[in-house]
Amino acid sequence: MEIVSILLFLVFATLSIAGAVGLILFRHPINCAVSFILTLLSIAGLYAMLSAKLLFAFQIIVYAGAIMSLIVFIIMFLNVTEDDLPAEKNRIPLMILGGVLLLPVAWFLLKVVFSLPYVGTEIVGGGFGGAKEFGLMLYYDWIFPFEVVSALLLVALVGAVVLAKRRI
Amino acid sequence: MFIGVQAYLALSIILFLLGVLGVMARRNVFTVFMSVELMLNAGNLAFVSYSRFWEGMEGHILAVMVMAVAAAEAALALAVVVLIFRNRGSLDTDFFRILRG
Repeated sequence: MEIVSILLFLVFATLSIAGAVGLILFRHPINCAVSFILTLLSIAGLYAMLSAKLLFAFQIIVYAGAIMSLIVFIIMFLNVTEDDLPAEKNRIPLMILGGVLLLPVAWFLLKVVFSLPYVGTEIVGGGFGGAKEFGLMLYYDWIFPFEVVSALLLVALVGAVVLAKRRI
Repeated sequence: MFIGVQAYLALSIILFLLGVLGVMARRNVFTVFMSVELMLNAGNLAFVSYSRFWEGMEGHILAVMVMAVAAAEAALALAVVVLIFRNRGSLDTDFFRILRG
């Protein structure tokens, strides 16, 4: 069983990094979106391997389903052609420069992370990550942040409608 | 070689820095927006890894809150993008300086 989980982690990690690299390298936004959906689905698989059962479903339904279909719909709705895209002649040198700038940050963070004590990722029992435990914790201990988030979503809904109605 | 929670955290760091790179180097507004979403996802992965680290479920709740914020951000940002594309006909992030008050 150990070798299966190692193989699954390597497959999901490779797919998610490949999707992220495609996201920042492809030119047309629809290719970026499809590549990003690959990343989101692999992250959902990683959630399942971390025993986060409910978040696995949320990631697929909310992120890869709702948010990404909204983005793909808007890209298709605007009918983006080659002429509409910005030129971006120097994006590869910019990316190399950014990578060189970010390397020390990555080195420092990875060093900090790998100095943590080892914790395995076996399945934990006791309903960890299940819907019942999640709901109990959400509605007992986190009820105020939950209400704040509901207000935020309402404000975003009204704001999007107002923005879409008005003529600039 | 055993894969622990540290490997998940390292993957989250790599994904976050790729998102930062996309925001720094690209000018297409959709790509920049999806890079921001990638950074939010990397943060979520770190939350869930730490949640597994301590076997408490607070990280899951924070991840769901981040998802709600991402959904609100998607709705508002895409409305702004549609408005600017219809009025100015450009997807360049440089055009978004007209949003200055």
